[in-house]
Amino acid sequence: MIKIENLHLSYQTDEGMVHAVRGVNIDIAEGQFFTLLGPSGCGKTTTLRALAGLETPADGEISIDGKLVYSGPKSINIPSYRRDIGMVFQSYAIWPHMDVFENVAFPLREMGGRMPKSKIRDKVLAALSLVQLDGYEDRPAPFLSGGQQQRLALARALVKEPKVLLLDEPLSNLDAKLRDEMRTELRDLVKRLGITTVYVTHDQLEALTMSDVVAVMETGLIVQESTPFDIYEEPRTRFVAAFIGQTNFVEGKIDAAANGAGRVGSVATSCGSLRCILPDGAGIGDAVSVVVRPEDVYLADQRSVDGDNMVTAEIAEIVFMGETLECTAIVGAETMRLKLHPSTRVEAGQSIKLVFPADRCRALAS
Amino acid sequence: MATRTLDFPKMRFDRRKLNPWHVTIFLVVTVLVAVPVAILILGSFSNAKMPTDFTWATLTFANYPEVWLDPGTYNILYNTVVYVAGATFVGVSVAAILAWLVERTTIPGKIWIYAGVPLALAVPGLLQAMAWVILASPRSGFINRFAMDKLGFESALIDIYTLGGMIFVEGLRLVPTAFLMMVPLLRSMDPALEEAAYTSGARPLSTARKITLMLMAPGFVAVTIYQAIIALEVFEVPGVLGMPADIHVFSTRVYMLVAEAEFLPTYGQANALAMLYLGVALVASYFYWRLIRRSERFTVVTGKGYRPKLTPLGKWHYPAIGFVVLFMVLAIILPFLVLLYTSLVKTLQPPSWDVFSTMSFKWYSWVFDYGRFGSTLTNTFQMVFATATIVTVLSFAISLIVVRSKFVARRVLDQMAFMPHAIPGVVMGLAFLWAFLQFDKFTGTAMFGSIWSVVLVFVVSFIAYGTRTMNAAILQIHSDLEEAASVSGAPPWRTLWRVFMPLMMPSLVGIWVYVVLLSVRLAGAPLILYEGRRTEVLAVLIWYLWDDGEWEAVAAMGVMLMIGLFTLVLLLRGLGFGRSMAQAR
Repeated sequence: MIKIENLHLSYQTDEGMVHAVRGVNIDIAEGQFFTLLGPSGCGKTTTLRALAGLETPADGEISIDGKLVYSGPKSINIPSYRRDIGMVFQSYAIWPHMDVFENVAFPLREMGGRMPKSKIRDKVLAALSLVQLDGYEDRPAPFLSGGQQQRLALARALVKEPKVLLLDEPLSNLDAKLRDEMRTELRDLVKRLGITTVYVTHDQLEALTMSDVVAVMETGLIVQESTPFDIYEEPRTRFVAAFIGQTNFVEGKIDAAANGAGRVGSVATSCGSLRCILPDGAGIGDAVSVVVRPEDVYLADQRSVDGDNMVTAEIAEIVFMGETLECTAIVGAETMRLKLHPSTRVEAGQSIKLVFPADRCRALAS
Repeated sequence: MATRTLDFPKMRFDRRKLNPWHVTIFLVVTVLVAVPVAILILGSFSNAKMPTDFTWATLTFANYPEVWLDPGTYNILYNTVVYVAGATFVGVSVAAILAWLVERTTIPGKIWIYAGVPLALAVPGLLQAMAWVILASPRSGFINRFAMDKLGFESALIDIYTLGGMIFVEGLRLVPTAFLMMVPLLRSMDPALEEAAYTSGARPLSTARKITLMLMAPGFVAVTIYQAIIALEVFEVPGVLGMPADIHVFSTRVYMLVAEAEFLPTYGQANALAMLYLGVALVASYFYWRLIRRSERFTVVTGKGYRPKLTPLGKWHYPAIGFVVLFMVLAIILPFLVLLYTSLVKTLQPPSWDVFSTMSFKWYSWVFDYGRFGSTLTNTFQMVFATATIVTVLSFAISLIVVRSKFVARRVLDQMAFMPHAIPGVVMGLAFLWAFLQFDKFTGTAMFGSIWSVVLVFVVSFIAYGTRTMNAAILQIHSDLEEAASVSGAPPWRTLWRVFMPLMMPSLVGIWVYVVLLSVRLAGAPLILYEGRRTEVLAVLIWYLWDDGEWEAVAAMGVMLMIGLFTLVLLLRGLGFGRSMAQAR
């Protein structure tokens, strides 16, 4: 549905040239909810704006629904207003001089060929009811609350039934509770409509809960692209692991390579030798970071054996969070975060034995 | 919670107890603004020959029919409407194009345009008009002489002594302030509003028409009305260009009625006409005030960092640069060069090689030897410095009460301080003329005929500007900063001195310099209040010397004045004051 090939984009700022997008490739299937995730300045918004035709790339190709809308080599650049898209801006960009109805009717009035008044009315009302803004059509646009403006922006983006919906951090200006509601509501809505959606956010929770595919960007490049589950479970780089969820890193060197069964090998760290999943093509002596999620660590019991990555630790701090017990533990020279079951009986200063399950430990090239 | 109930004393006071300081300021502003206007109104119903003859027995309605039944009044009304509409149209359109070019296109040398256009502020209307008389008066203007002598034209090519001439010169004069008001208007618009239209399928032209223009409309109309009020108020340009040809507008007619009063006392009539003039100005100001009120609801600014899309000029590149250069030449360079040339020649004549060889500084020494120049210069300095200082201090006191205190009448105080904005300088001069004469009659002092009369009129005229700017500046200083000083143990006056004043300093200095710039240029009110040498300021001297035909001397003074004003404008820019100056209105 959407294909972006080798996209490059740079622009001039007061501090000089910024190479914001440096060779991005994206392929989005029809009806997919695709999320660009990354910290600010990683190029995700710029990529989205290039897709919308609001920025002119330096090189590359973009096609929407099989139609080439930008091509550096072929000197094609279809302007925004002729691309079959709808877009929601971070600031919503609700036109303050129009009422709710006119804001939504605008894209329809701009469509080629005169649409009969009654049809415009029907479509606008349908779009408003889609976002649960029925009855607001005569309200002047500035007199809406933040959440209502957000819905209005969505209705405006959807009213002409575009092939592609582009969302630029649409939830970031809402308060926390409203954001939680809108997350599921927005996802349900676009899935029900079956519209291909590109979503830009820096919020990992939004990315994980809403998307079919997440692409994590760093300094103008996509560093990993897969399903939310895989992104979380199998981060490919240290950056991805650190950006999504809480993570412990233990630095070390590979001392035994993967043997037949799976890709499990052994890494020498300050906590002792840890058995873990090694990256493809890693050899003995490579420096790696071993990644362990806090919720994967558990207290050793009678059934645990030495081969299970059992280490001795000292609890430094305990925070009771309700559903979990968040602990900070000193293991050798490392400080690690753990999430234990709330019923676990531990105290600060206590010496305990922890298990890092080998199939939950992942070594990444550092 | 205990901390909630703690009330830091600071500058807030018990609501039930009136602060004597607040009351004093309130009374001062009331006397300054309300009393002269009341006397002006009363005077319009009096048939006293001179303001000093005023008694309650002289009250009559006769002045109003006199003015209203005079066909000349309608002629003046017509001239005023044409002149104001024309000048505003020229000024605002040129400013809009310039602002759009620098804010939204790829025109090169933007920094020169930002710096150059406001320089036109340094060309007083009086000198701008005089320079154009030298260039384009029908018989001796350089342009017309050249056309007739060298190109063989039968008659004058252009005549500056016309409504058209007035529109042109006043139009040029309006550009810098209109430009300074429009730049932030364009800059504060969120480009996402336009981008949303593109992604909705609107073409650029359609977007410009339905989104950009509509969003700009309230601000644009407000700028237009504001500029129309200035054009309505100005005396110098119609005075130099209209009066010799008997083309009168309100400001010049009121002046004439007063100036001729020596032979034929018509003060009551002048007042009655001034009332009409004042009425028009008040209506315009009312609409302006309503508009800026409404436009505040149009919260277009969202606070995201904007990188607006610049329109490539393409084949319009050179015409655009040409337009900018043409404006600079017509508004700044040409008037300056014409006056410089005039000040250096022996007697005024069109430029030729012979003339250049005989140039000298003769007229400059003439000016310095001229007896009245020294005293005028002293008067002017006295007047300008006193005005600027009083305006700055008074506005600061007023704004502090309006913005930070709980004084019961703070709203009224704010509106009263804004009101003089709607009163044309000539009318203000007339109102104060009456007020001073009455004051002197009762107290035996000599306010009228002293330089302080001019100072007082200007102070009242400029506190509207001063308080607007000051309100904005004080609002920007978050009260947290002061509260932090309070809880750190600083008593109120220390907080004021250590935290508040240093933060306010750029605004205070900026207002001071801008008032200097304004008061040195204006001739209207000082001319009305002119009463011998002790009230003579530079603008008045220039006016009378011009009337006596001493154009070369006027040019010499003009050149020196303009160099001083250029320095002041650059100083203002250095203070980064251009933007806040425009936003405060």
